[in-house]
Amino acid sequence: MAIARQSEILRGARSTLRRTIIICLALLLVLLLTIVVSSVIGAERLPFASSLCALFSGGNSSCGLTPEQSAILFEIRLPRILLAASVGASLATAGAGYQALLRNPLAEPYLLGISNGAAVGTMVSLVFFGTGQTSEWLRPVMAFVGAIGSSFVVYQLARGRTGASPEKLILAGVIVTTFLSSVIVFITTMMDATRIRSFTFWLLGDLSGASTNLLTIAIIAAIFGGIVLTLHARSLNLMMLGERDAFDLGVEVERVRLIVFLGASLLVGASVASSGSVGYVGLVIPHLVRLSVGSDNRTVIPSAAFAGALFVIIADTIARTIIAPRELPVGAITALIGAPLFIFLLRRG
Amino acid sequence: MRGKRRESLSKHKPYNFKFACALALLVCAVALFSCSSRNEKPATTNTATTAQTREVTDESGKRVRVPWRPQRIVTLAPNLTEIVYALGAGSRLVGNTTYCDYPAEAKQVEKVGDTLQPNVEKIIALKPDIVLITTASQLETFTRQLDERAIPIFVTDPHDLEGVFRSIKTLGDLLGQQEQADKLVGDLRARASAVEDAVKSRPVVTVFYQVSPSPLWTAGKRSWITDLIKRAGGRSVTAEVEGEWMRYSDEAAIASKPEAIIMATGGEEKMEVAPALQKSPAALNKRVYGISGDYLSRPGPRLVDGLEEMARSLHPEAFQK
Repeated sequence: MAIARQSEILRGARSTLRRTIIICLALLLVLLLTIVVSSVIGAERLPFASSLCALFSGGNSSCGLTPEQSAILFEIRLPRILLAASVGASLATAGAGYQALLRNPLAEPYLLGISNGAAVGTMVSLVFFGTGQTSEWLRPVMAFVGAIGSSFVVYQLARGRTGASPEKLILAGVIVTTFLSSVIVFITTMMDATRIRSFTFWLLGDLSGASTNLLTIAIIAAIFGGIVLTLHARSLNLMMLGERDAFDLGVEVERVRLIVFLGASLLVGASVASSGSVGYVGLVIPHLVRLSVGSDNRTVIPSAAFAGALFVIIADTIARTIIAPRELPVGAITALIGAPLFIFLLRRG
Repeated sequence: MRGKRRESLSKHKPYNFKFACALALLVCAVALFSCSSRNEKPATTNTATTAQTREVTDESGKRVRVPWRPQRIVTLAPNLTEIVYALGAGSRLVGNTTYCDYPAEAKQVEKVGDTLQPNVEKIIALKPDIVLITTASQLETFTRQLDERAIPIFVTDPHDLEGVFRSIKTLGDLLGQQEQADKLVGDLRARASAVEDAVKSRPVVTVFYQVSPSPLWTAGKRSWITDLIKRAGGRSVTAEVEGEWMRYSDEAAIASKPEAIIMATGGEEKMEVAPALQKSPAALNKRVYGISGDYLSRPGPRLVDGLEEMARSLHPEAFQK
């Protein structure tokens, strides 16, 4: 009897795995297609066929592109698209993780003040250590520290005797967000005028100009953090029943909470350090994913990674082309798409 | 009526009473405040209607009533401070910003904050009879507060060298220094045409003006920089892009293949070529020029110094004697 039940559970796990893999492969296919399409769209018109040819040859053959055109394609556009993908994946996975962990549909890096914590960390590192080569490694580290710091503060503020209630959590998040916003305003005011301009842009999310180092960090963080959260998805499923019940079912609640917080902070820290605060990704994408694939975190978290990557790539393609050769901050586009979408989801739910 | 209200209030908890008192106090304070400002207005408009004032139009198209010969001037940008001194009206300057460091006397003048965040209280306390600002857009709430106190605000908004000359003439007229203004503009114009004559026969150099490297910012059609580059024998690759200062696409910057890069220097920032421009002909041929931001980002008399330096950088051979 017990054995029969176990094999049933095992079969269930297998079918979830199969389903997750199929969904993720489908999303990956769409993602690759989007990467190709968005790399032939841009402020500078590149010859379509030659660009495709150069892309598929992996840059080994110029396919008739001039050196400038190939620089635009491989040194500007493609790194930017990859950064958009890793930032989108990071924020969406982090959002899905927070929502499951805190049992709160509104939990999102931006709303919880965690993005702002990372932004303050990045700014502190920029103000004190400048923009040189060594500080490039320091920036994500400081952003990570800022993200951990603010998530710790939010969590402590929200935690009562009975655990963190969803309402208190959002309130604490709003308080920390507004506090950190004023810290950011303070820091930008202390900096000189020309730098302020770049910073206000950066704060709204800006995917251009990330160095190879930062891009590498963002990609590694997205993959590593995504895997960590996915591995804890089953525990998160149980914790969604309530931390007490999860504990009774054998989940090491404290450990899972710590790991998920650290993993999500890593994701948020790396993406903020490389591109500022891109809002709404962590909120809208997990909800959309849940609407279409159900609420099993084992499927939701990896699917959110791919969907988030897709969303930010599309938003950034709009941001860099719609008023070309000028540019909009990508955060403005994600908010423009994200806010109405979220209202729609709220009204439907 | 007040007594009645108090009676009814006393039946409630003391907390409510305290609250009502506070509210009443607040109402009184508001009433007093609005009264005092109402009292003030006729007084100032009275002086405004006397023969000592006249009406002029500033560069934002706004009609401003100003005294014939302002005695207490506040400037809210370094270029305006420089113009006021160049016009010989420096002794009447009672307030300027922390950015105003030229000429040296300007540093001794009372500071009212910086251009982006001037302190309204400080300005009012200085009792200026005119406040000079440059480009109105950022200062809307603030200008309203000065309007309410009937302190005239004169806006200058130059977009090219000719616009700077026009500002100097208007300010000369406004401050009663017409002769000095005519002479100043005459001199500046002569220097500018000397530069233009020197580079006239030279091949035009394409220039990218870099405001900040990452994210990449540049100057567009409406910026005096574009005009300056043209006069210095160059052509800004972003000359046709709408706007004054803007975030510019990295891709478009690469594709523009500028022969020279110009950037403003000064402050703590090092000269750093934008990543997108590092393989441009300009960077490869080491034609990257830093020109003092004090010249280039202040549309005042020293913009011509900037023009001279720019022309010498772009066409060194034209200036060899």
